[in-house]
Amino acid sequence: MNVIEAEHLSKTFRVKQKEKGMRGSLKAIFHPQTEEINAVNNVSFSVQEGEMLAFIGPNGAGKSTTIKMLTGILYPDGGKVEVLGIDPTKQRRALSYQIGTVFGQKEQLWTHLTPYDNFRFFGAIYDIGANEIESRIGMLSDTFDLGSFLNTPVRNLSLGQRIRCEIVASLIHRPKVLFLDEPTIGLDPVVKENIRSLIKQMNRELHTTIFLTSHDIGDIEKLCKRIIIVNSGQIVLDDSMEHLKYHYLNKKILEVKLQEETALPQVNGITLLKQKGSHIKLEVDTTVIKINDALHNIDTEHVEDINISNVPLENIIMEIYSSEKV
Amino acid sequence: MITKINMSKRINTITTVKNQLQVCMLSVKYNIMRGMLNRVTFLTNIIFMMLNNAAFLIQWIILFRLKEDIGGYTLREVMLQWALSASSYGLAHLLFARVFSLSELIINGKLDSYLVQPKNVLLGVMTSATSTSSIGDLLYGLCILCIFCFSFRNLLLFLLFTVTGATILTAYALLMGSFSFWFVRADMVGNNLVSSMVNFSTYPDGIFKGAVKFLLYLIIPTGMSIYLPVHLMVNFDVGQLFIVLGFMFLLLTAAIFTFYRGLRRYSSSNLMNART
Repeated sequence: MNVIEAEHLSKTFRVKQKEKGMRGSLKAIFHPQTEEINAVNNVSFSVQEGEMLAFIGPNGAGKSTTIKMLTGILYPDGGKVEVLGIDPTKQRRALSYQIGTVFGQKEQLWTHLTPYDNFRFFGAIYDIGANEIESRIGMLSDTFDLGSFLNTPVRNLSLGQRIRCEIVASLIHRPKVLFLDEPTIGLDPVVKENIRSLIKQMNRELHTTIFLTSHDIGDIEKLCKRIIIVNSGQIVLDDSMEHLKYHYLNKKILEVKLQEETALPQVNGITLLKQKGSHIKLEVDTTVIKINDALHNIDTEHVEDINISNVPLENIIMEIYSSEKV
Repeated sequence: MITKINMSKRINTITTVKNQLQVCMLSVKYNIMRGMLNRVTFLTNIIFMMLNNAAFLIQWIILFRLKEDIGGYTLREVMLQWALSASSYGLAHLLFARVFSLSELIINGKLDSYLVQPKNVLLGVMTSATSTSSIGDLLYGLCILCIFCFSFRNLLLFLLFTVTGATILTAYALLMGSFSFWFVRADMVGNNLVSSMVNFSTYPDGIFKGAVKFLLYLIIPTGMSIYLPVHLMVNFDVGQLFIVLGFMFLLLTAAIFTFYRGLRRYSSSNLMNART
């Protein structure tokens, strides 16, 4: 069952243009000029119930604009959108009861209040009864391990603790779809990992659909099974993570430490990335040469150490970003 | 069967309104709690606001020693006007302070958090901030009424006109702020007009004539929020009361309509911000 359906979604922004300097500023008063930017251009996709989807792209690609149209914050200029069978442009309030949002760059909590008071406030917003809200706070507090700072004002919490509270606040009404816009921005690796495992647990136990945008490859790799890449307002890739890796991981990185410095023969399919003394880093294109054959071209008798790895997902995504359209 | 459905719809509507009011009251309560975090600042804000207003009171007392009548007003009427201006300004800024910076929220795309909540966007925005010094204005107004012209009738009318005055001021600020959905520079004009409405409310309307008077009753509605209510408290007239109430509902409807029309043009932003 599809919980999100977007068909030919488009959004245009009119942006003011100004020539440089004071002269430009004066000219802009009498002859203002604007330029139309297609932030989202004819985007279509669907998301199934319980899916964990990464919706990624470079800055200005149209990710946040798309999320904002899906959540009813922005009105699309064209196309059709339905979330849980509800049109966000017509029934924004009805949809709000069913979805949760976490914008990593924007806080929704009252900073002078404790997380507990904040959750009570969100309970009132979502019309949750006093007893019910107590039980939900207790349950989510256990899951997200908030016990030690539940009664500390939010402004005194660390960034990691705040983000955990932000996620709990957005889960208090048990949403069926959770939109996460850069939820781990600015967090240290340990806290990031902690947040990721909590999101996974939530998806597993509550079957919540996760719609994630992030620039952090770790978030995408560790959480999502499907990836949609947008660039210049258009979808350039919509594929499963497994297929993406299989399709794009035809290049291997070979790192070799030899006993002594050796010149390598020129072989088709093998590219020397870096050489520092007896340390060599090669890229092997497995569609041209098998990894076994590539190893034969190295003086294996004098190898001290060897490491074969995939090209990092980050590089693959960067390659897709830089290509026009896949 | 139909009666049962109608009854159920009515109960749902009552519950929705009750829940909405509960959220608004919680929001105002939390805002005041934030203001009370620093006890000294909170109390000095209120006290100094009352003292600031009292300074003008001395100025008017001196003026009325020199002249008995200014623009048809005696000292008692000017005090009544000051009391009503301060109280309606105080009430509007205590409950709906965010309306007075609505342009900034619209221009910088800061309405997102209100749009993802299943509650009325406008009420959510309006009640999301408070000005603690406005408690001083509200108390000052009541004190002046008690000192210069207290009667049970005056108190009731004063409370009614404090509410209508605050509503007209809020609706006017909402209307002006909502123009920022269309014009970025509307905030400059809007803020000036709202400030003018507050400034003009402290002068007797008898000193204004012709076009200025017309301006003060319709374009900058100080006449409807303060002047006419003061006249009504001195000489009560049902017809004029309905004019004030009618104007208030008309302006409020126009402001709400403009806000929601403009909301369709809202452009969000990705600025880093916190709920402060």
